[in-house]
Amino acid sequence: MIISAIPILLVDLVGSFLMIILSLLSLKIVFRLRKQDHDNLIWTYLWWICVALSCFAVSRSAGHILKNLFLLMDQKSVWDVVRPFSGAVNTVMFVVVGSVTMFFERIWKIYQLIRKDRQALRSAHKELLYLAQNLEKLVAERTSALAVSEYNYRKIFEVSKDMILVTDREGTIVNLNPSGYNLLGLGGKEDVIDRRKILEFLKEPEMWLTIMASVEQERSPADIELDLIIRDNTIKRVLVSGSMVDRTDNETETFHFLIKDIQKRKMMEEQLAQADKLASIGELSSGVAHEVNNPLGVILGYTQLLLRDEKKATDRYADLKIIEKHARSCKAIVEDLLSFSRKSDTEKEMLDIHKVIDDVLSFVQHHSNIEHIALESEYSPAVHPLLIDEKKVKQVLINLVVNAIHAVGKKGCIMISTDIRAATGDLVVKVSDDGHGIEKKYLKKIFDPFFTTKPTGEGTGLGLSVSYGIVKNHGGYIDVESTPGKGTTFTISLPAAPSHQEN
Amino acid sequence: MKTAGSKCFIYAFMLAGLFVIAEPALATQTHSQPEGLYVHQIAHIFFIISMGSLEFWLRQRNLTKEKGWRYIQLAAVLFILWNIDAIAVHFLDEHLDIFGIAKIDLWHIQFDNPEGQDIVTLLYYLMKLDHLLCVPAMFSLYYGLKTILRNTVADQGDNPAP
Repeated sequence: MIISAIPILLVDLVGSFLMIILSLLSLKIVFRLRKQDHDNLIWTYLWWICVALSCFAVSRSAGHILKNLFLLMDQKSVWDVVRPFSGAVNTVMFVVVGSVTMFFERIWKIYQLIRKDRQALRSAHKELLYLAQNLEKLVAERTSALAVSEYNYRKIFEVSKDMILVTDREGTIVNLNPSGYNLLGLGGKEDVIDRRKILEFLKEPEMWLTIMASVEQERSPADIELDLIIRDNTIKRVLVSGSMVDRTDNETETFHFLIKDIQKRKMMEEQLAQADKLASIGELSSGVAHEVNNPLGVILGYTQLLLRDEKKATDRYADLKIIEKHARSCKAIVEDLLSFSRKSDTEKEMLDIHKVIDDVLSFVQHHSNIEHIALESEYSPAVHPLLIDEKKVKQVLINLVVNAIHAVGKKGCIMISTDIRAATGDLVVKVSDDGHGIEKKYLKKIFDPFFTTKPTGEGTGLGLSVSYGIVKNHGGYIDVESTPGKGTTFTISLPAAPSHQEN
Repeated sequence: MKTAGSKCFIYAFMLAGLFVIAEPALATQTHSQPEGLYVHQIAHIFFIISMGSLEFWLRQRNLTKEKGWRYIQLAAVLFILWNIDAIAVHFLDEHLDIFGIAKIDLWHIQFDNPEGQDIVTLLYYLMKLDHLLCVPAMFSLYYGLKTILRNTVADQGDNPAP
């Protein structure tokens, strides 16, 4: 079978021309690419590929064209001479194209590295440029922000109502805020804390080791309760929270503490507990008093009926009189208990408290042997008439003054003063004495019914309980402060009359 | 004392002596005709390997997601096919007598292959049209480069270099 070779020849010739044209066009494109970015490694690489491919295309296509031309011109002998050169050049070109191509991965890797570095350099350059242009402004902004921040923190440090303390590991005070100076009773001078240790103010200095151990373990322990001894040996209960600050500049490590004064809270809690206790006792007393009051009334009534028919000179009359006397005593106690539990009726009217006090002082002076005891009074002109039950308030004042006389003994001074509490407008009546005072352990119990330190038979222990009940019944409260050996002060607070409260 | 010029003269004289005095050592290997063909075929194989590696790395580096590089990948594949075709044609051209193929003249080819082996005839004929592979390969390369150039110009327009 004989087949025409013309299609093969035509494809060979046209293809060879197209190869040359396309390779040169590719070269031109890469040339333009390189012109866009002369430093781009990938374009350089493509340039070398295209150069090699163009050389290959030209040599191969030229060989094919020459071959066909020589054969057409019947010059096979000439072609036989050219053929080995053409073939050899083609072979070399294959190898060159192949070799250049094999470097693609390495070139791409290098290109990526260069691009990454270039981007990093560009961004660094941009940042540097921005910093150079705005350095002054940035520094000013940062300084201003720092100053504001410092001011804010300084303000917090200075105006904090709680004590803020900075110490070193040994407890030496490094810094202390104004509340700290006040709490420790140091005044406002900074030099008073120079080289002083916080341990000096701890009631139990060994607590410092406990605090430091907590700081080491928990980093920022909270709510450690301890007692501080401040000026005049007054003890204050405080709540401590702390933390350790690690210094990066090789300076001594510091410890920061926030110390909260909970003395008032503690006192209020104790007062609340006391009020609760007295309220409970009051409920109990009132129940008992009501139950006892009726049988007592019957006993007293029948005793009086029997006394009416009995002749006075008889033994029976004397026995009945003793029953009547003790029944009356019991009734008085029951009435006192009812007063304490605030169940007794009151008859309030607008009265001048100063007149009431004067009556009490006059009564006491006439009925007691107080020749060497000074009874003084100091009245505030700001006090207005009050809505009070005269009899009951007098009972309270007599109780307090009589107690004061007992405390003072044979010689001393008792002072009754009045004042108005500016914040609430309440009336404050103080009964002070310079007697033997009350021991601290008794202070919590003195308003308890039947509590007395007097010998048996000298007091029922209901005087202060009744006073407490009466004052509470008036919407006020009674408090006591005492220093053993120096004296006692009872403070009665009574709410202002409604008209004055409105004012 | 010897000058630099006289040194050069002595070295040139000794080198010339190597050619003039030397006799056939019979140690060098003679290269007969088939060696050229083998070298050429090996070069084709090397070309295939290099294009294969290019195609592999283009995919590996995710460059084929871009249109321009995708055309360059196509060019590599077409060049591989062209090289296979060229290797086969070179092989057949050297063994025409085995397959019953004879070139009568420039314009005609004679096939004397046995009955039922027309496929060899057809294959040889088609494989001789190797430009149908290498021209599209070169065009694909050209078009790919052109696309890359266009995208680069567009990118530079959007983000002018600082």
